[in-house]
Amino acid sequence: MRPPALLVTLHRQRGLIGVLVGRELKARYRGTLFGYFWSLLNPLLLLGVYSIVFTLVIPARVPTHVPYPLFLFAGLLPWLFASGAMFDAAIVLLDNGPLLKKVMCPPEVFPAVTVLSHLVHHLLAVPVLVAGMAAAAFAGAMRFPVTIALLPLAMVPWLIAVSGLVLLISALAVHFRDIKDLLHNILNLLFFLTPIIYVPELVPAGFLRRAVLANPLTPLVELYRDVALLGTVPKLATWGWAVLVAVVCWTLGVGVFSRLRETLAETV
Amino acid sequence: MSDATALRLSGVSKRYPMRPQKGRFHSLKGALLRGELWRREREKGGFLALEGVNLEIEKGETVGVIGPNGSGKSTLLKLVAGILKPTTGTVEVNGRVTALIELGAGFHPEISGRENAVINGMMLGLSRADVMRRLPWIIEFSGVGQFIDQPVKTFSSGMYVRLGFAVAVAAEPEVLVVDEVLAVGDQAFAHRCLDRIAALQRHGTAILLVSHDLALVEHLANRALYLRAGSPVAYGTAASSVARYRSDVASQEAGQQLDTTSGRRWGNRAVVLDVVEVVDVTGRVTGTVRNGEPAAIRLAYTAHEEQTDFVFGVAISREDGTHVYGTNTDLDGWRPQSLAGTGEVRIEFPALELAPGRYFVDAAVHAKEGLAYDYACEVCSFLVTAPVGWPGSYAPRHRWLPSGPAMLPPLEGE
Repeated sequence: MRPPALLVTLHRQRGLIGVLVGRELKARYRGTLFGYFWSLLNPLLLLGVYSIVFTLVIPARVPTHVPYPLFLFAGLLPWLFASGAMFDAAIVLLDNGPLLKKVMCPPEVFPAVTVLSHLVHHLLAVPVLVAGMAAAAFAGAMRFPVTIALLPLAMVPWLIAVSGLVLLISALAVHFRDIKDLLHNILNLLFFLTPIIYVPELVPAGFLRRAVLANPLTPLVELYRDVALLGTVPKLATWGWAVLVAVVCWTLGVGVFSRLRETLAETV
Repeated sequence: MSDATALRLSGVSKRYPMRPQKGRFHSLKGALLRGELWRREREKGGFLALEGVNLEIEKGETVGVIGPNGSGKSTLLKLVAGILKPTTGTVEVNGRVTALIELGAGFHPEISGRENAVINGMMLGLSRADVMRRLPWIIEFSGVGQFIDQPVKTFSSGMYVRLGFAVAVAAEPEVLVVDEVLAVGDQAFAHRCLDRIAALQRHGTAILLVSHDLALVEHLANRALYLRAGSPVAYGTAASSVARYRSDVASQEAGQQLDTTSGRRWGNRAVVLDVVEVVDVTGRVTGTVRNGEPAAIRLAYTAHEEQTDFVFGVAISREDGTHVYGTNTDLDGWRPQSLAGTGEVRIEFPALELAPGRYFVDAAVHAKEGLAYDYACEVCSFLVTAPVGWPGSYAPRHRWLPSGPAMLPPLEGE
C-alpha cells in the first residue's frame, strides 16, 4: 500500500472515523461528573503547577512581553496534543486488536481516530487561551495577538507531523511492546528539550542551545506560540523548517505503517 | 471473474512466520538499523497453515468448510474476509464481504446498544445512512427492545450476541463468511438466525460456512470443502464431503489406514462396490427415468473378507449439488448378518417422483459407525423427464381442484 492508498482508505472510511471519534469522546467522559471539562482541567492543572513553580519558587527569567502563565499555556497546548496522541498511538492498535482480527476494519482508521480526538480536545482548550489573553489584554498586561488568525495555518505542519508520528508509533508498537515505555522516557526528555517552559535564548549558547534548536519539535512549537500568543509572524525559515519536519515525519510514518500494515492483524 | 461468481480463490496458501520469543524482529535496533523492517519476510520456514486452495463460489451458493482443528479453516475464512493476506495465490471477491467471526467484537461497553450498532454496521462497510435505515429492523430482530439505549456493558451475553448477529446480517452482503456462530441465543432466536441465513441465500449471498456441526453443514451447504492439515482433501456435495470426513474420523478412531485413491471415491476396500447403476422395472440399465415411474438402483459388491458390520447406502443429488434424498439399510432398520463373496443389493422406488433434470447417485457400503469400505461419489447419473418442466427437486403426482367453474381443465393431448 502506497501513501495515496492510505489516504484513499481514510477518505472512504471518513464516516466511520467520524463516529469513532464521537464514541471516543463520549466514552471517555461517560459517567464522569465534569465531562468535557476534564480535557480542560488537565492543561489547567499543569498550567497552575508550572506557573507557581516558575513564578514563585524558581522565578523564570523568560524575556517576553506576555504574562508567564499564558506563555506556558501556549506552549503546553500543542505539546499536550502531540504527546497525548503519541501515548495513545502506542496502545491504540493493541486495544482495538479484536476489531482488526474479527471485523475487517482497516487499521489506519485507528491512528486517524487518535489524532482527531486529541485534536478535538485541543480545539476545546484553545478558547481558554483566547479568554486568558483577552483578560490580560484588558488588564493592559499584553496586546491581544491579531496573528492568532494564522493559527490554523500554523497548525498544519504540526498536525501533519503528529499524524506521521502517530502512524509510525502505532504500527511499531504492535511489533515492539516496549515502545510504550520507551516513548514515556523519550517524551519526558523531549519536553525539556523543547522550548515550552523557556525560550531558546535563555539556554546558554553552546551544545545545549544547539540541541534545543536542532530539536525538530522546536520550530513546530515556536510557530504555534508565535502566532497564538506573541503576536509575531514567524520567519520564513521557521516555516520552512517546520514544513520539512512535517514532511519527514509524515513520510516516515506512512512508509512504516504501510510496510507493516499487512502484518498488523496477525501480530496484534 | 464472471458476474455470477461471488468469490474465487486460486492457488491460495498461507504461511505464518514462526516467531522467536521477541516477535517478528529480533530487536528494535535490528529492525531499524539493519533494515529488517524493510525486507520481505523470509518465505521459507514458518508454518504452512493453508496450501493450494482453489475455490469458486457462485452467488447464492453456500459452501461448508469442515475438518479437524488446526486444518486451516479459520485461516481460510480470514483470507476471504481480507483480514489476512495470502502468502501465495489470489483471493477475488465480487462485492462486499461480511464476517461473522466473533459477534459484537467491536462493541464498546460504555456506549449504548444503538450507537454500537451504528458503529458496527459502518465497520462492516455500510454507510451511516444505510445503518440508520436498517436500525429499526436490527432492533426488532435482535429483540433487545428498550435496552437498545443502555450501555452494552449492561447487556446479558445473549443480548450481546443477538445484537451482534442482527447488525452483521442486516445488510445483504455479497459474501458472508461465518465461523461457528450461525445459531446463537436461545432456540427461538437460533431459528430466526437460520431463517435469516436462508433469506440471504435466496437473495444471492454467497456463504462460506466453517462449522464442526456436520449436520448443519449438510443442511445449509450445497457443497463442502474438507480440509486436513491445511490441504483440501475433498470438495464436492456437502453430503459427500461430510461423509468423507466422518469416515476419516471413524477410521482414525479405529486406527486404520485409509485408501485415499481419489477425491471422488474412498474407503478401505474391505468391501468393494463393483457396479452401481440405475435400472428400470425389467432390470435393464437405463439413463432416463420418466417422472413418477418406477426405478431402482443396483449395487453389486465383492466382500474380500467376511463382514458382519455393514450398511449399504445411496444418496441422490442434483447437478447443482443440492442433496435430494438419501437413505441406507441401517436407517431403514435392516439388520446386517453376514457379507461374503459377491452379491448385489437393489433399492427400488415404486414411483420416482423427482422433478425433471439430471441427478447423480452416491453409493456406499460402510460400517455402522461411519468407517467407509467403499464410498463412491457421483458414481452414476440419470435423467428424469416429465411433460412439464417443474422447478425444484420433488414432483409428486398431483391434481388441481377448483371450487367453481373459474377454470377449465387442460385439453386432452396437450
